[in-house]
Amino acid sequence: MPAEPKLALSLRGIRMNFGPIVAIAGVDLDVAAGKICGLIGPNGSGKSTLFDCCTGLVRPTAGRVLAGATDITGWGMARIARRERLFRSFQKAVVFRAMTAEDNLVLAGQMAAFSTLASTFSFGPIARRRVRELRVRAGELLERVGLAHMRYSKAGEMSFGQQKLLQFASMLMPEPRIILLDEPFAGINPVLIERIVENIRVVNRESGVTFVIVEHNIDVLRDLTHRLVVLSRGSILADGDPDDVIRDPRVVEAYLAG
Amino acid sequence: MPGLTVVGRRFAGRLTSVCLVAAILVLLPLFANSYQLSTLIVSMVFLLPALGLNLILGYTGMLSLAQMGFFGVGGYTSALLAMHFGTPFWLNFLAALVVPALVAIPLAIPALRLRHTSFVMCTIAFVFILDSASKNWVSLTRGDMGLSSVPRPRLGLWSGGYVVHTTAGYYYLGLFLCALAVAALIAIVRSPAGRYMVAIREDETLAASVGGRTWHYRLAAFVLSAAFAGAGGSYYVHYITVISPTVFDPSYTNTVLVVVLGGGVGTISGPILGGVVFVALSEALRVAPELRMVIYGLILTTSVFAFPKGLIGPLFALWRRMLPSRERGSHAG
Repeated sequence: MPAEPKLALSLRGIRMNFGPIVAIAGVDLDVAAGKICGLIGPNGSGKSTLFDCCTGLVRPTAGRVLAGATDITGWGMARIARRERLFRSFQKAVVFRAMTAEDNLVLAGQMAAFSTLASTFSFGPIARRRVRELRVRAGELLERVGLAHMRYSKAGEMSFGQQKLLQFASMLMPEPRIILLDEPFAGINPVLIERIVENIRVVNRESGVTFVIVEHNIDVLRDLTHRLVVLSRGSILADGDPDDVIRDPRVVEAYLAG
Repeated sequence: MPGLTVVGRRFAGRLTSVCLVAAILVLLPLFANSYQLSTLIVSMVFLLPALGLNLILGYTGMLSLAQMGFFGVGGYTSALLAMHFGTPFWLNFLAALVVPALVAIPLAIPALRLRHTSFVMCTIAFVFILDSASKNWVSLTRGDMGLSSVPRPRLGLWSGGYVVHTTAGYYYLGLFLCALAVAALIAIVRSPAGRYMVAIREDETLAASVGGRTWHYRLAAFVLSAAFAGAGGSYYVHYITVISPTVFDPSYTNTVLVVVLGGGVGTISGPILGGVVFVALSEALRVAPELRMVIYGLILTTSVFAFPKGLIGPLFALWRRMLPSRERGSHAG
């Protein structure tokens, strides 16, 4: 009997109601560790809400969320990020605009370098050395995503695509295990899309980071992902190999019907 | 300055200007008369709560109007200790940091659940409650009469020691306390915690998504801001040797707001400049008592229109033009 694949993220019977509106009507989903999983669906099908449930931004009305073997249902965002190294990107709020690119990354790396609350208030030589190390790592990551020339620029002065690259880099700072990307390619030019795609591949291959990607750009997802899940009206409509899923008549209909 | 990197040159420039300002401040009593010095003392009285407001508003993004409430708590604490137990200044001062900070915690637990205007209202209400309490808890505060003949600050380890009584003495004491407070503020905002605070100001959800324990840092900023205000209250009460419920008057809160917002919120030097300029301005305008507040208001309005980032804004712009910026420096190699 082959060993069960290790799971990075499991959703068990997730339901989410906003008053009378059912945003998610019972979703069960297992994401294997080290895979890149795409999540598509028409607008309003519950993709972002599902991310919100996974990352603790909202608490699901019913169901459980597991990161690895840990039940993280009801945890806050910061705790999930710190303990499980599960990070997400947002569609609109992308980076801290008043901070430099480097400071954005240092901030993101702090949770690993300063694990206790008290240690974040220290300003002695040890704390300064740790921040220096974070700056070095930030420099390397900026180099890697092609933003080295923007290192000391305010993030608010960067283009939207560059901000998304910066956001991606910031999720790599604290050694992530799972990254949820919410429309990482929307509204940015093809060159930057290619750069993000390449980085996702490298991080996945070299560090074994699991990705779940919500995206409307199906052409990109088809090449990038190992598996494609289709959400429609708050439940899973199709799930499987990207090429098969895209040809599935129910999926085509759901998209055309809106 | 050949042989120095751009960063080194910026540091050297900053060091020079800080030393220059420090030298001027230390030597000032040799040139200034006691009236001018007492104006600067009042500036420093307001600077201490203003630094606290700057931490919570400028760096963490929450408008708290409770600063003068904590200022009063610190003032009463310091005065009562000195009057009843004859304790030395350092102990009164320490108590004036700790007691307001402890008072801030039970207030923060409900208040920090609120956002925006509701939070502001909650902090205003806190000052109203203190105002009423200080008027009615007569056995402790002597009500509207207030506490008078509060001992002057005694600088000794336990008993004995030098009692500050000259204007210059008060000036140097204030200078020392403000230097400590500014150093503390710099240490806080440059620490990793300070970076989380700025992140919360920018976007609280995003701050949580990078692992920032937002509630803890909002609480920390609130409690620390209370301690800064309490420090101001302690210095104030040993200077004028009287404290009454009038400290909770909204006009004092307004002054703290003007110092921070007019000087430059979210910067270190902004409130310092604001403290000196706006308090001195208010004093200078006493030459025209009937029109004093009218002129003050006009100048304030004009300055807000001319310098939306505070008085420090144009100074920073000048500073940047004098020194090469970091990014241009890195392009130059």
